[in-house]
Amino acid sequence: MFERVKTVIAASSLGLVVMATAALAGPADDAIKARQACMKAHGGVMAVAVPVMKGEKPFDAAALKAAHDKEDAACAGWDGFWAENTMQGETAETWAKPEIWADMAGFQAAGGAWYEADQKLRAATDEASFKATFPAVGKGCQDCHEKFRRPKG
Amino acid sequence: MLLAALGLLAFWLVSAPRPLSADAIPAHTPDLANGEKLYHASGCHSCHLPTAASGIDTALPAGGTPLKTPIGTLYPPNITPDPETGIGQWSDLDFVNAMQQGIGRNGSHLIPAFPYTSYARMKVEDVLDIKGYLATLAPMKNAVPSHEVFALPIVRRGLGAWKWIGFDDGKFKEDPAQSAAWNRGAYLVNGPGHCNECHTPRSLLMTSDMSRFLAGGPHPEGDGKVPSIRNLVGRGKYKNAADLVLAFQNGEILGYEDMSSGGMGKVQANLAKLPEDDLKAIAEYLLSLK
Repeated sequence: MFERVKTVIAASSLGLVVMATAALAGPADDAIKARQACMKAHGGVMAVAVPVMKGEKPFDAAALKAAHDKEDAACAGWDGFWAENTMQGETAETWAKPEIWADMAGFQAAGGAWYEADQKLRAATDEASFKATFPAVGKGCQDCHEKFRRPKG
Repeated sequence: MLLAALGLLAFWLVSAPRPLSADAIPAHTPDLANGEKLYHASGCHSCHLPTAASGIDTALPAGGTPLKTPIGTLYPPNITPDPETGIGQWSDLDFVNAMQQGIGRNGSHLIPAFPYTSYARMKVEDVLDIKGYLATLAPMKNAVPSHEVFALPIVRRGLGAWKWIGFDDGKFKEDPAQSAAWNRGAYLVNGPGHCNECHTPRSLLMTSDMSRFLAGGPHPEGDGKVPSIRNLVGRGKYKNAADLVLAFQNGEILGYEDMSSGGMGKVQANLAKLPEDDLKAIAEYLLSLK
């Protein structure tokens, strides 16, 4: 009898913990996770591009296209990633700086500069045009990170 | 009463600015190329740049861009050679006193957001070379606002007491057991580069906690963290010295994403202007820190 009471108590407290956690996670977490997945996909493009820039691998249009496709899929919802209430997650940690929301026009301009550079990169058809267009994309990453991303430590 | 008076007297004595005298400055003809290199290595431009609104060429260190710190908003001064609003009238002694003693031309203590605590370790000739280089820049008239710090004169005087505890004006000493490149790297990192000012956490008294030298800590501007720059290879951050040199030269242009955020992008832009030998030296030194 006593064992059964203990089990019930243990099970219900576990249930409460699960419910509490579920209650804590929310829409800001979803947005944060979505934009982090998009950033990870940018990293996927970097992983293909950087060895070519360093001369370690030849230009591979197919691999680059595959990485860009993943980037498109992960970042499709970009405009919806940055609502005012996503400055902080319910449970997810974010490195987005409050400056994004204080200076939304500046943030969009920085994103726009990156996008424009990225469009030129996507038009690259061979190693020479790739190497000529890629640095501006990296610069776009840096300029935006420098202003709008908290240092991660 | 007597104790309070004695305490006040002690404070007054330890907090007094003690500038160098003229005979501490060697006769020296500035090497302008070396001055330019050390100007970049010292990161002068990162803080002394003008605002976009001033209309001044942002490549010139005409000052005035606000710097937010825990004690208030600071306005780094104009260090172009304009005689009225810049440092055109400064003597070599004035310049060395500011850079290596943290004492302004008017004789008061400078706020250590200006990293004289690191610049103090530099060879005085290198400091004079920077002054020589600055004198070659176009003079810009730009009067910058006063620092927005509560009770600034008292804070300035109080800094004397802080310096008594936390400031050592000893010069960098080479380690004869190490290579010339290692020593050059150690000099650049600990003197002009002032990496320590952000990458070493601070104690309660706001002095560098040297037991955690370059091990990272809270960001001095209060947002996020500054990473450790020890054991960079062991922790998988960089493959080797050549990899770190590429990061210094290219930053995120080659996907080195740790080279931006929290002000590091500006540091990387300065590093990219240094000769490769100096960057290799910095990498050799940093990678030796386990």
